[in-house]
Amino acid sequence: MTTSSRVPVTVLTGFLGSGKTTLLNRILSENHGKRIAVIENEFGEVGVDNDLVIGAEEEIFEMNNGCICCTVRGDLIRILGNLMKRRDKFDHIMIETTGLADPGPVAQTFFMDDDIQTQLSLDGVVTLIDARHVLQHIEDSDEVKEQIAFADVILLNKTDLVSSAELDSLEARIHSMNSAAKIHRTKDAVVDMDKILDLGGFDLDRALETDPKFLEPEYPFEWSGLYNLKQGVYSLVMNEGPDPAMKAAFFKATSATEQGMRDTVEPAVLCYSSEEHVLEAGELITAGDQLFELPLETTPAKFAITIPEDGVYVLFTEHHPDEFTASLQDSSGSRLTPLFTREYKPDHQHDDEVTSVGITTPGDLNLEKFQVWLRELLANQGTDIFRMKGILSFQGMATRYVFQGVHMLFDGRPDRPWGDKPRSNSLIFIGRNLNRKELNAGFEACLV
Amino acid sequence: MFGLKAGQRDGRELRELWQVDIEDYVNDLAWSGDRRFLAAISVSGQVWVYSHDDRELHRLGEHIGGGSSISWRPGTTELASIGHDGTVKLWDAAIQRLTGELDSGATWGTKVAWRPQGTSLATAAGKSLRLFTTDGEIAYESSDHESTIADIGWNPDGSAVAVAAYFGVTLHIPGRPVRRLEWKGSSLALAWSPTAKYLVTGEQDSSVHVWFMKTGRDSQMTGFATKVLELSWHRSGNYLATGGSDSIILWNCSGAGPEGREPKTLEGHPTRLTQLQFQHRGDDIASSDADGMVLLWTPLTHITPYFMRAFESPVTRLAWSSDDQRLTVGERNGTITTLGFRK
Repeated sequence: MTTSSRVPVTVLTGFLGSGKTTLLNRILSENHGKRIAVIENEFGEVGVDNDLVIGAEEEIFEMNNGCICCTVRGDLIRILGNLMKRRDKFDHIMIETTGLADPGPVAQTFFMDDDIQTQLSLDGVVTLIDARHVLQHIEDSDEVKEQIAFADVILLNKTDLVSSAELDSLEARIHSMNSAAKIHRTKDAVVDMDKILDLGGFDLDRALETDPKFLEPEYPFEWSGLYNLKQGVYSLVMNEGPDPAMKAAFFKATSATEQGMRDTVEPAVLCYSSEEHVLEAGELITAGDQLFELPLETTPAKFAITIPEDGVYVLFTEHHPDEFTASLQDSSGSRLTPLFTREYKPDHQHDDEVTSVGITTPGDLNLEKFQVWLRELLANQGTDIFRMKGILSFQGMATRYVFQGVHMLFDGRPDRPWGDKPRSNSLIFIGRNLNRKELNAGFEACLV
Repeated sequence: MFGLKAGQRDGRELRELWQVDIEDYVNDLAWSGDRRFLAAISVSGQVWVYSHDDRELHRLGEHIGGGSSISWRPGTTELASIGHDGTVKLWDAAIQRLTGELDSGATWGTKVAWRPQGTSLATAAGKSLRLFTTDGEIAYESSDHESTIADIGWNPDGSAVAVAAYFGVTLHIPGRPVRRLEWKGSSLALAWSPTAKYLVTGEQDSSVHVWFMKTGRDSQMTGFATKVLELSWHRSGNYLATGGSDSIILWNCSGAGPEGREPKTLEGHPTRLTQLQFQHRGDDIASSDADGMVLLWTPLTHITPYFMRAFESPVTRLAWSSDDQRLTVGERNGTITTLGFRK
């Protein structure tokens, strides 16, 4: 059976009152040209002509060894199996879980049952969040955290009931937990169908293509600023700050826009993981893929920067310039104001929190070392790792290797050739008790 | 295609007797004991009877929401059916009419099974097992199951009903406490050996579980490619055929049982098996797969099939008539074909 003939399935999670029923009603009544079969785990009959609505009671099946990755949803195996006998009746299946449901067994059902695997594809997990009430639960509810962690799309609903400042902070909090998910703000669960259907969230061909931003790592820098600079010599002036040195890099951007700055972020992350060059007295900083360490033994310190041609440049600094009262100045000594700036907040979450750990590193991996590392990681921490995705570069392999997983279940394969794109590795883990340092160190030890 | 050639077996030859189309996934098929009627239920809930006498297909009625299982009451023309509407329907094929309706106790009906003696009807719906008298009274009920019931089956002497669900099997004898054969797994299908020496279950975790009924000892057979739904006993009770892959595995269960004995592997299907049915009185086994291939074998003597026929869509059901002279094949696309041995 080919991939394209598999029926896509969307899993809808969210607490009672988050707006799931409103959204389901909308999906069933809206004229979007799709026939949708709905499996409902919660009350509220919504059946509409043409659509199939089936009630179900959650049945968790632990397989023999009690390992969490072998936990599946028996009710879904049964109902989906039956639905597949009537597959000419619908184009899409939507599973509504109860407010307290753990999305893990739901997702795992799609990896563990062969009938389901061959006939259905898990398209994505959509999590609805009541923007007003979620803050009461987010700290102490494992279910809320897990539903956020598993999501491909998060609908921050009831946005009309909270201030925009609260929304911003909530969105930042959610983003720190799951930086791979797309967040949409909604009112009355109004959202375009194409934002929640056909996401390809578990599809290796698409998951890593749709949103290149998803692999946001922990940034090794805290600040960037974009400047329009003429050819010439500039200086970076810094005063005493919390560290005796600061790392900085200068990149040329393609346009004087926010997008232009964003495009330099990935090369900057890669650059920051390379060896830094300690700047000697009198040496010039140049724009390019070189990381400089700026010693600050004596302050104020002045570092000369040469700009070879007119253009748009982005400065990335390890710490926020304000901490060092730092500024970029032109040859006449006047301070330059960047056109755009962005702060990159390092994650300061507690260990028991759900977080995303992104790793972006240039170079090739040793296949054997990586396999051993990942196997051990999943054996020890698979319970806490909700989802993972990545694109890897293995030594001797001309193609990219893409993978994704849920807890201990792992699905990966070679993808298209690297071509002239620089070979690098980007992966993300979303989970609980993730140790960023250990993950980074463990992964880096697998590099050739 | 693959390089399989069906061999000859002492004049066994099949030809097509008739073919009808119910235009919907064939979910269950059964011949009446007197071989006059073939009943079928489709996945959307239509109940059909084909009369072998007048060669006509009759639609009896439907279970709104879906159909699951049918069972003939031994020695009669009465048919019971169950589906996803919370009812058990009773039909008389001779007059093509609904004769009764029972409450199955839950919407999701899984299976109906008449007692071999024809004196009681077992029904499984949701987590509820019910035994009805011939008057339609509930004689026994149990909802004490860990999950929605996956399968039920009367033991050969009709004294007990076995229920397969998550956490293994339970045995129900009216008036007695439930006997539990616990196994931490999800049992999907069950089959009593004809001598009641064994009860076997096909499991979600790609294994087959064997219960030795006298001692209560159990044993696990693993190595299947997929979950195991296909189980069929040879009439002697000495051989068990299992699916769960492209190959039929034949286990020798005589004497001390299958443990430590190398099973026989019958290869020929190009893809995953969907049905396995030993004859009632003979030694032949019919098998089908998801590509629509039906093969017939004499597995005790040969490991190659003697008959093959490719059908248009995946074969979903196989049913032998009580005299083993007819084999009926139900397909995903709704075609029902009956083959007969040339006399």
